[in-house]
Amino acid sequence: MSLLQEVWQAVKAIGTGMATVHKRVYEEAPTEFYPYVKPDLPPVSVQSLALVENEDGSERCIVCLQCERACPAQVITIERHRNPEGKGFLIDRFDIDLVNCMYCAACVEACPVSSIVTIQDFEMSTYDLRTLRADIDFLHEQARNSRQWYSPKFGVEIRTEDGRIEKAPPEMQPGGLAEILKPAEEVDS
Amino acid sequence: MSTMNLEPVPGRTDEMIVNMGPQHPATHGVLRVVLGLEGERITRAVPHIGYLHRNHEKIEEARTYPMVIPYTDRMDYVSGTQNELPFVLAIEDMLGVEVPDRARKIRTMFFELFRLASHLVWMGTAMLDLGAISPFLYTFWDREIILGIVEKTAGARMLPNYYTFGGVRRDVHPDFFKEVADLLDHLERRMVDYEHLVLESPVVHARTIGVGVLSKERAIARGVSGPVLRASGVAYDVRKAFPYDAYPDVEFEIPTSPDGDTYARFWVRFQEMYQSIRILRQLLELTPKTGPFKGKAPARIKPPAGERYRAVENSRGELGVFVISDGTDKPYRVKHRGAAFSNLQIIPDLFIGAKFSDAIAILSSLDPVFGEIDR
Ligand code: SF4
Ligand code: SF4
Repeated sequence: MSLLQEVWQAVKAIGTGMATVHKRVYEEAPTEFYPYVKPDLPPVSVQSLALVENEDGSERCIVCLQCERACPAQVITIERHRNPEGKGFLIDRFDIDLVNCMYCAACVEACPVSSIVTIQDFEMSTYDLRTLRADIDFLHEQARNSRQWYSPKFGVEIRTEDGRIEKAPPEMQPGGLAEILKPAEEVDS
Repeated sequence: MSTMNLEPVPGRTDEMIVNMGPQHPATHGVLRVVLGLEGERITRAVPHIGYLHRNHEKIEEARTYPMVIPYTDRMDYVSGTQNELPFVLAIEDMLGVEVPDRARKIRTMFFELFRLASHLVWMGTAMLDLGAISPFLYTFWDREIILGIVEKTAGARMLPNYYTFGGVRRDVHPDFFKEVADLLDHLERRMVDYEHLVLESPVVHARTIGVGVLSKERAIARGVSGPVLRASGVAYDVRKAFPYDAYPDVEFEIPTSPDGDTYARFWVRFQEMYQSIRILRQLLELTPKTGPFKGKAPARIKPPAGERYRAVENSRGELGVFVISDGTDKPYRVKHRGAAFSNLQIIPDLFIGAKFSDAIAILSSLDPVFGEIDR
């Protein structure tokens, strides 16, 4: 290759590179200005876990231990005793070690009453790992602070302004559920 | 002299022993290579692995079958759901579970989306190793779109835990097909830029052509697979050789290159991305918009006693799993066959005789991911 050709090659390469980079300068940047702008996460996104209470403040969890059995990381610890009046069980202890949790959502899938749910609170960084050994109060607090949560059984649920818990409208639901929620005749037509 | 640590040869003063890694940014994680250097030339090379060992295979013996799936995710963390598939396929075989046609296609779509994501990460980091920063920013930008699509359906970006025995965990998001179609249009435009920045760049040519040549015989003898093998001229692809999921329904080619050098490995990965786009376009047409996404799997997964090996072609090569069941709800043994692990074996072959700066280029062309190598 002659020197002239080599110089032309180099100039051409720099030119193409510059042109390609230049094109991107005017495109909208994909980055978000966190923490000033909060990312808009899809409702199924698994960021943390919470334990939902009913609207009247009673426990939704029936302490069936399904979540404890399903957890691959084995970080859920539940202790229970028989309800002295009435049937079922009462919770003595419900701990999730969120440090070792791998956010796989297997517990959420196993829960028969959608008591344990996934939420979009990802701001869990801490200087002290002990604060992430979530007990039942912490998990309830997480649920109370959430506007929406997801579980495969009930889909996306939202907490309205006046504190009621409702199923989210179909357009907020992820795949599959939207079909179920539509009135039957709409699906048929 | 121990074979693990290079000892200086007595009386030789011209050879210098240098530790590359495990915290070296160009080692893609935690690879440590002990190098004997004679000036710029590498005379000896011993790779050390295990800095990211998390004992996956042993943990999986103590977990029930559904619990193993999220663990497999964490091996090759760049290619997400691709890791789950061999295990899921093996158990489906043992149980005789029927997978609905639509579920197969959705699984394949996710598989190819992650191949694109993984190759984009490779392209960015490989160019970063060669000293170019802009491609890194652009590829991660595009990968961000893919991960966003995955998150909308699967609930997580990198470790989705999405496949399950008999299909997938939940149906795709209603926007999924439209978003994938948009993504493919976008990527096709971007690939033109990447060709300019990577494949056509004279700097890349100078750094990669003729560097780290791996012969066909050597590649086969060392058991490498994936793009590294195909860049040495062997047209072996698990997707064609042992088709799984929806691959028999789609048309695609296996790009190979006879050269076997670093540039050929770059080129093959580029062509694979075009093939992925092609497969995804066909699947967009073929996949029904609604329908079943999960077959009937037993509530308690208890495969009959026996053993099974299943392999898939992930972004790095043949990813296999060998499962032995003893009839209980926990596997007796799970052995993962990682592609990146086998590909790493050729490091001494390629490094010895190369220049030190070429070693970085060779390593990035192998595209190792240490989550999978160390497991
Ligand atoms: S998300 Fe997974 S690891 Fe975490 S508590 Fe639930 S089942 Fe266990
Ligand atoms: S599975 Fe649900 S109901 Fe059962 S113990 Fe866990 S949180 Fe409670």
